[in-house]
Amino acid sequence: MSITAAPVSAHGFDAYLAHKRRRRINNWLLVACSVALLAWCFWDTIMFDTDWQRMGGALGIGGTLERFLLIDWSLLPKLLVPALETLMMATLGTILGCVFSLPVAWFGAANVTPSKYFFYPLGRFLMVLSRSIHEIIWALLFVGAVGLGALPGILAVAMRSVGFISKITAEAIENIDPKPVEAIRAVGGNQFQVMYYGIVPQILPVIIGTIIFEWDINIRRSAIMGLVGAGGLGLVFFRQMAMFNYGGVTLVVLAVLVLIAIGEVISHYARKAVI
Amino acid sequence: MMPVTTTATHSMPAANRKWSRYRHPESTIRFAVILAILAFLGYSITYLNIDLSRILGAFPRLVEILATRYFPPDMNYVSDADFLRSVLRTLEMSLLGGFFGVVCSIPLAWLAARNITVSKRIAYPFGRFAIMSSRSIHETIWTILFVTVLGFGMLAGTLALTVFCVGFAGKLFSDELEAIDMGPVEALRSVGANPLQVFQYAVLPQVRVAFTGIAIYTWDVAFRAATVVGFFGGGGMGWYLKRTTQQMESTRVAAILLVIIGLVLLAEIGSGWLRKRIGKMR
Amino acid sequence: MRHEKIIVEGRAQRGLPAKVADAMSILEVRNLKVSYSTGGPQILKGIDFEVGGDDFCAVIGPSGAGKSTLIRCINRLVEPTEGDIILFGQSVCPLNSGDLRRLRRRIGMIFQEFNLVNRMSVMDNVLSGRLGYTGAFRSFFKAFPKEDIDRALNLLERVGLQDHVDKRADALSGGQRQRVGIARALMQRPEILLLDEPTSALDPKISRDVMGLIRELAAEFKIPVLCNIHDVQLALETCNRIIGMQDGYKKFDGPAKGMRKQDLDEIYAMEVL
Repeated sequence: MSITAAPVSAHGFDAYLAHKRRRRINNWLLVACSVALLAWCFWDTIMFDTDWQRMGGALGIGGTLERFLLIDWSLLPKLLVPALETLMMATLGTILGCVFSLPVAWFGAANVTPSKYFFYPLGRFLMVLSRSIHEIIWALLFVGAVGLGALPGILAVAMRSVGFISKITAEAIENIDPKPVEAIRAVGGNQFQVMYYGIVPQILPVIIGTIIFEWDINIRRSAIMGLVGAGGLGLVFFRQMAMFNYGGVTLVVLAVLVLIAIGEVISHYARKAVI
Repeated sequence: MMPVTTTATHSMPAANRKWSRYRHPESTIRFAVILAILAFLGYSITYLNIDLSRILGAFPRLVEILATRYFPPDMNYVSDADFLRSVLRTLEMSLLGGFFGVVCSIPLAWLAARNITVSKRIAYPFGRFAIMSSRSIHETIWTILFVTVLGFGMLAGTLALTVFCVGFAGKLFSDELEAIDMGPVEALRSVGANPLQVFQYAVLPQVRVAFTGIAIYTWDVAFRAATVVGFFGGGGMGWYLKRTTQQMESTRVAAILLVIIGLVLLAEIGSGWLRKRIGKMR
Repeated sequence: MRHEKIIVEGRAQRGLPAKVADAMSILEVRNLKVSYSTGGPQILKGIDFEVGGDDFCAVIGPSGAGKSTLIRCINRLVEPTEGDIILFGQSVCPLNSGDLRRLRRRIGMIFQEFNLVNRMSVMDNVLSGRLGYTGAFRSFFKAFPKEDIDRALNLLERVGLQDHVDKRADALSGGQRQRVGIARALMQRPEILLLDEPTSALDPKISRDVMGLIRELAAEFKIPVLCNIHDVQLALETCNRIIGMQDGYKKFDGPAKGMRKQDLDEIYAMEVL
């Protein structure tokens, strides 16, 4: 192979080749390390931890899968009310999450925060905290505080939503165009009017889009809140699971899918209507 | 100072046009929709039997309970070797789940990206449906399903995380793919490259950096989920959480929660830092 | 001498009786100094002038002379550091926020970038000029009194936007948006108009139309205008009085007609150097 490149000094070309070789070696090292790490993870977790005997080989798995695939359609009419309950929980959770997000977003937006040294870090911390704690854990905490029922589920969903909604809202507030705000101040508007006419119209589309997005996600979160006795599809799921009626379980899962598909259609139109 | 006499006059002829905020039928429809949503909310509150005063009461109660029952956290419990091992396992599980999830989701995202999909009739709906259903079902439900089929342990947890990551990363990947510059794709198509070659030479170079960032973010989210899959038998530290919760060992639960929050924060900071560095390489 | 002030007594040359002009003095600026940060560079270094009842007064000068700062000081969008501004017989500087709001609603302001709320309709943007007079309840439901709506319709017709009432502000062209800005300012029934570079975001033809419209409306409603403008030709065409500024000082003050090339050269001397 002959190389006919632009005139490069021998030294420069050697340096280039050396650089290339080093990069290739580095890449290979990275890949090798990753493969080794993953292989070790695989060994340590899956090979070590799995009870291959209990699983019963391909036949056993096939048998269980078959029970899942024999869908118990008789359950279908009993799913409508729980599906509605799940939707209600998701909606209430999202609304409550928005309410909680208001102060958090206010604190955590650098340009409107009441205090840069206390409230701003507090707001940012609350955003991270809300997202860091899984909804299951939020639900467990709230069951301790308010007892079983729909309320801990809704509160858990709300708390988990706060992080995302308030983060996006705070970013939207930070990115507003200050000029209309100045104009409203110049016509003699008070604080509320400046906010309501100057800031809100600018951030509203972003916020509504985020809320709709979060509502969509909250439907799937609400669908597991049966765990804390919150009713809805989650409760039916856990009951069917406890009765080993796997055909019913599949149906519930399908119902969740359908519910979320409906939610996605609604949010598509809602987003179109708003923006 | 001289008295000020304003001479500005603002008389205008009477309006010969009418204006009202009300538009037919848009305003009516909007009003009806808002009313319907409010009615739905009101009905939900009564139907689910929610006592609004308890919502605000929940937070003082939460603080009170945390302060009395959960305090002080039993730190000895979480420094136990077995528990630390479960933490390590959780980390391994999230790495595996994230890796397999990302590996599976790239081809799915390719199918599910409207602009470069292999076929709009078959592959596109298939890819969309696969990603949407992995996304729609909560990781908890996936865990329970896999545990039922494959038995307790980390295999079920890892698979549940894999499916979860397919849904999560698949959506972000396909969004990213739909935003690429179509120029190189058309150029390669015009020289007669097959779809795989187009993907490798025209698409992948454009999205490599973004994909790396998404992959790291996926791991971050997978780790968050991995801390609780054990709660449903998926292995890892979640199992300890379940055991201590059921036995009402609140101080131990508190310690585990603290560990989880700390680790998730660390993971988030780490992934944020990595993503920022990779973003700079762009 | 850079710091020498060229003060030409304007009113006598415009042929107005001095006494009436004094009685109609609406705005007085005395020894105005502004620096944005304490100890930082001074933007305005002591400005004195008066604006009377039928002045259409242009502030010209090279960029960085402090024209915009001067205009913004008058309704305290920028806080003066030193000196005094007397508007409608009351000092602007010591006002608390409530009194400042009550004062601001008597001052119409038209901005360089229009400063409209893009996502709101033209009508709502115009009506927002009345916010200073609108209570919390009405402003929350955007339920403005009928007379405000009638006035808004009339003004929109006057500025030639009667066919765009329900369009969103960002659907309009630059010239149309500035017309919305004019209508909004006139909604306030202002007793003085402040114009902060009203035409620099517009092309020359539209700029002349817009300035002509403002002059026409200001004359009709008898509103004095203080206008900061960088296009000297346009200023000389539209305005009857010119204040020339340079580096934070007033360099010229007199009728537009009496302005000589020499005066202009002096004002823009820094730019040439």
